[in-house]
Amino acid sequence: MSDTEGTEPASTEVQEAKAKYVGFVFDTATFTVEQDKMLAWAESVGETDPRFTDPSHPDFQAHPTFTASLVSRRVLPEDFPKIGGPRGIDGGKAVVIQQPIRPGDQLKASATIADIYEKTGRSGTMTFIVQRMSFVNQNDEPVSMVDWKMIRNP
Amino acid sequence: MILDLHTHSVQSDDGRAKVDNYCQWIRKKELPLDGMVLTEHRQWDATSDYRDLEDQYGLVILKASEVETDYGHVLVFGVNEDLVNSFDFARIDNPLPDVLAAAERCGAFAAPCHPGRRNVGLFAHYENKGVVDAVHTVEVLNGGSIPGEDELSVEKAAEYGYRGFGGSDSHIVSRIGFCATEFDDTFSDIDGLVAALYGGRFRAVNLREPV
Amino acid sequence: MRFEEVELGDELPAEHPDISMERVVEFTKAAHMNFPRFTDHEFARKEGLPGALVPGIMSQALLATMIHRWAPGCQILSLDTVFRGHVVVGTTPTISGAVTDVDDDERVVEVDLTLTAEDGRTGVMGTAKVAFPS
Repeated sequence: MSDTEGTEPASTEVQEAKAKYVGFVFDTATFTVEQDKMLAWAESVGETDPRFTDPSHPDFQAHPTFTASLVSRRVLPEDFPKIGGPRGIDGGKAVVIQQPIRPGDQLKASATIADIYEKTGRSGTMTFIVQRMSFVNQNDEPVSMVDWKMIRNP
Repeated sequence: MILDLHTHSVQSDDGRAKVDNYCQWIRKKELPLDGMVLTEHRQWDATSDYRDLEDQYGLVILKASEVETDYGHVLVFGVNEDLVNSFDFARIDNPLPDVLAAAERCGAFAAPCHPGRRNVGLFAHYENKGVVDAVHTVEVLNGGSIPGEDELSVEKAAEYGYRGFGGSDSHIVSRIGFCATEFDDTFSDIDGLVAALYGGRFRAVNLREPV
Repeated sequence: MRFEEVELGDELPAEHPDISMERVVEFTKAAHMNFPRFTDHEFARKEGLPGALVPGIMSQALLATMIHRWAPGCQILSLDTVFRGHVVVGTTPTISGAVTDVDDDERVVEVDLTLTAEDGRTGVMGTAKVAFPS
């Protein structure tokens, strides 16, 4: 028996989508980190730490979850099936901060599907599609990773 | 003894709590809990072994499952090899009567959880599909309920004559013990829990401090 | 807050962040999210929402701000959030948090954070890993 029996996805269409799409880069994008956007973001959420609000600070950097707003042209692969239903709900974002992001950084992002699974909840039957954006800077150093849980339901 | 009968660890897809940290939290906050039951989503975690943590913290730590049926979510205590082979724990639409019958046949105890919850609660399905005769016990207090849900659970459980237990439904460390179950009996393993549940001498308790 | 002072179970001082329309408009511009369901109460209500909504990633950023105020100089390593319910622009939410793990070797702390809407419902739940300087 497997270590955790019953963790494989239940429906066939989810299993097929998982086999076809999980782990493959389906889009790339580049972003220039603008100082005024960094400052506006930090100010709008009431930040007072000068590392995020003062451009003259020696460690001035983007607020930790800044990359959560950077999205590629495609949110899903071009031929991704319409599984789960027409309604979309934002289930949340997980951000990993690997290095500070500085003003003027040229970020390159690659988009993959990290996971697909089904569960039921208050919103009914939900299909979770986890899109992952992995960001590197102009030196090819990993700076951030964002997992976005997109929920589809009927 | 008081146990939190409904908790999730990092083994569940949406769980963020490590069991060690649950134990530390219970002791640090001096929660009136004698232990917990890990009820991981849509799976039976056969390999995690919490006996060392039980010894270290003096807590009872048992394993169970939360499965999904056509009448909502169900907690299954006393999972064994026979039961795992009886239905697909990963399915989100197992027929509830089949799950309840399989549990009883295999010596386990199954009961719907958060029955007052919209869409995934037993009583929402009762409105549309009618009563399932094999239900006898439900979770009447759930730490993740929004206002109105537990009240509905308590009301309907009384109406149908169901016994009621409690659990936090915690997915993060700081939410363990919001609700729990107080047993008249004392036990230290899963067989003892199953026997105590079938025995019926327990009640749901709300351990949250009043706001 | 020094690492040596942190203990599992410590509560972070609760905050009531400013989610006024002015702040939300500023955020949506910075985040390239200038959609009316975030900045127009009437539009949002016509969509069946209780009012203009605070973007989920703005709530997430508010959690990060709270961590910075609790432990100045710390570095957030990760912040994982679940968007559980609506948070309406112009209301008064509460952010609370607690320390749930302390790694003495790595000088890393884990915290649970919750942004609760004015009506008591959970808006956003998060768990964060926070590194303290040596």
